[in-house]
Amino acid sequence: MELFNNLLLGFQVALSFQNLLYCFLGCFLGTLIGVLPGIGPVATIAMLLPITFNLPPTPALIMLAGIYYGASYGGSTTAILVNLPGESSSVVTCIDGYQMGRQGRAGPALAIAALGSFFAGCVGTVLIALFGPPLAELAFEFGAAEYFSMMVLGLVSAVVLAHGSLIKAIAMIILGLLFGLVGTDVNSGIARYSFGISELSDGIGFVSVAMGMFGFAEIISNLEAKQADRDQAKISEVKTLMPTWHDIKVSIGPIMRGTAIGTIFGILPGSHTVIAAFSSYTLEKKLSKTPERFGKGAIEGVAGPESANNAAAQTCFIPLLTLGIPTGAVMALMVGAMTIQGIAPGPQVMTQKPDLFWGMIASMWLGNAMLVVLNLPLIGIWVQFLKIPYRLLFPGICLFIAIGAYSVNNSPMEIYMAALFGLFGYWAVKWGCEPAPLLLGFVLGPLMEENLRRAMLISRGDPSVFVTRPISAGMLVVTALLLLVIIAPQVRRKREEVLVEEGP
Amino acid sequence: MSSKIKSQKDFNAGLMFIAFGAVFAFVARNYPMGTAVRMGPAYFPTILGWLLMGLGLIVFLQSFATKDEPPKSMDARAVWWILGSVLAFALLVGPLEAGLVPASVVIVMMSAYGGREFRWRDAITSAVILSVACVAIFYYGLGLPFRLFPWS
Repeated sequence: MELFNNLLLGFQVALSFQNLLYCFLGCFLGTLIGVLPGIGPVATIAMLLPITFNLPPTPALIMLAGIYYGASYGGSTTAILVNLPGESSSVVTCIDGYQMGRQGRAGPALAIAALGSFFAGCVGTVLIALFGPPLAELAFEFGAAEYFSMMVLGLVSAVVLAHGSLIKAIAMIILGLLFGLVGTDVNSGIARYSFGISELSDGIGFVSVAMGMFGFAEIISNLEAKQADRDQAKISEVKTLMPTWHDIKVSIGPIMRGTAIGTIFGILPGSHTVIAAFSSYTLEKKLSKTPERFGKGAIEGVAGPESANNAAAQTCFIPLLTLGIPTGAVMALMVGAMTIQGIAPGPQVMTQKPDLFWGMIASMWLGNAMLVVLNLPLIGIWVQFLKIPYRLLFPGICLFIAIGAYSVNNSPMEIYMAALFGLFGYWAVKWGCEPAPLLLGFVLGPLMEENLRRAMLISRGDPSVFVTRPISAGMLVVTALLLLVIIAPQVRRKREEVLVEEGP
Repeated sequence: MSSKIKSQKDFNAGLMFIAFGAVFAFVARNYPMGTAVRMGPAYFPTILGWLLMGLGLIVFLQSFATKDEPPKSMDARAVWWILGSVLAFALLVGPLEAGLVPASVVIVMMSAYGGREFRWRDAITSAVILSVACVAIFYYGLGLPFRLFPWS
């Protein structure tokens, strides 16, 4: 069976010493930043992008992926032990997880979280292996018009499912598209928006935008928010890790359902892990015969969301690896990483570089296994890290970002740009504009223009080509429906509910 | 003036979008537009620029209609010291050619000062530890080309 051969190839690649090493490094770093509040996977991946220049593509992408799904494991640790979400999707785990900790049941909470995540991660990996190739087959039928419409759909759905003002999010996407267009136009050779600065004629560095908006801007915002002195927060003691049989029995359902939810939201554009975790919590509460236990230490409130967020963290790679479109900020960074490596994301990655594709899938499974080991037996180490105050961490982060930005071109220009985008990002967030849509638009800008141009060229200037070709038309219809649905008042109220639950 | 504006956030954001849209659309006039069939370099940016201005206008108008909480006031200390530290680093490794070590020490100390819980002892210790770590990881470990000191 072809699947078997592909997986064999994948494991051969993933089990090489270098790839194992980088997989472990990614998972370790991911757990670390998942545990530490104040720094998340987006900033970390952005920081490590320049380092991946010196690596071959497979270990580079394996490591970056490991950071992402590793963070969703690590975030549960801080959530349960200190009631602080180390990573955005672990906000939900705080609710019941911390209560379990206060009841002396931190160990079982951590164990169920890790095991549920492992199950979800395995399922997610299997799904990528099963559905990847057929999806890529489908994508080969795509022409320029389909790609353009797909990008429109991807961009719009990414913001429709996210929180905050829809119009401002779309405006950020467009601004991102425009920033992405800065540089030399491939077709005409004219340098656009470079204002005579030679470095700009190569375009704005992707790394500068990412590091500025997600690194510096976040540090400044964190400092600004009056954080309660974390030293005062009691760290719950971990006595024994073993969950009771009752715990396990009760968690099986939530883990299954969480995995299913996470898989769906992972594939859809948006903030995959966060929405998956929240939806799972809401579902478990609704399905439970004793919903009043939720919020007071119900283990279902940990099992479901933790499985959901991990399933989402795996399956969100599917659109990237098969269709080549990024469906979230982290995926946008992965596109950036692939581009830096000279790999054009798209369905051809599977056929032209099968070792990369299948190697990544196999290593995701291995990574999940490593993470269970990292998170359970080694929990003591992470507890120590939790005691580092933020004021000692953030200057180090500034330094790493600065070095990373400089190393892109051995030029301080990238650092200036990162600082500039840091300032811009800070104000944008202050005024209620999300930075992630801008990053998505930035990555897709040149691609969208190229496909638009090609589509118009082939159709000889006929714009109706986007609606006459069936696949393209279908995508635009879905886009329009999504927009209409969101504007409809009932859905608006529901979104407000989710917003309120999502908190700050 | 502030009594009519119900959402300062939307007011500012709207103006920002209009401004950016305008800049992109009007600078694009310097480039050839081309035709629909053969789109010139100005085509896509112009469309996007006008779209952005339109959305910005909607947001701007919304600021008089929908109430929203005012934006949190700016933490000037954090902004100036963090960004200042970054610029200092850029100058020190760039035009001033002072080297990675002085630059690292400066950025750590300056950015730490941006936080409200600044303590001299912690800042100096962090600066030393982080500089050593960075030289080890980036210069020796990854082999990035850096001048370490002004004299090296």
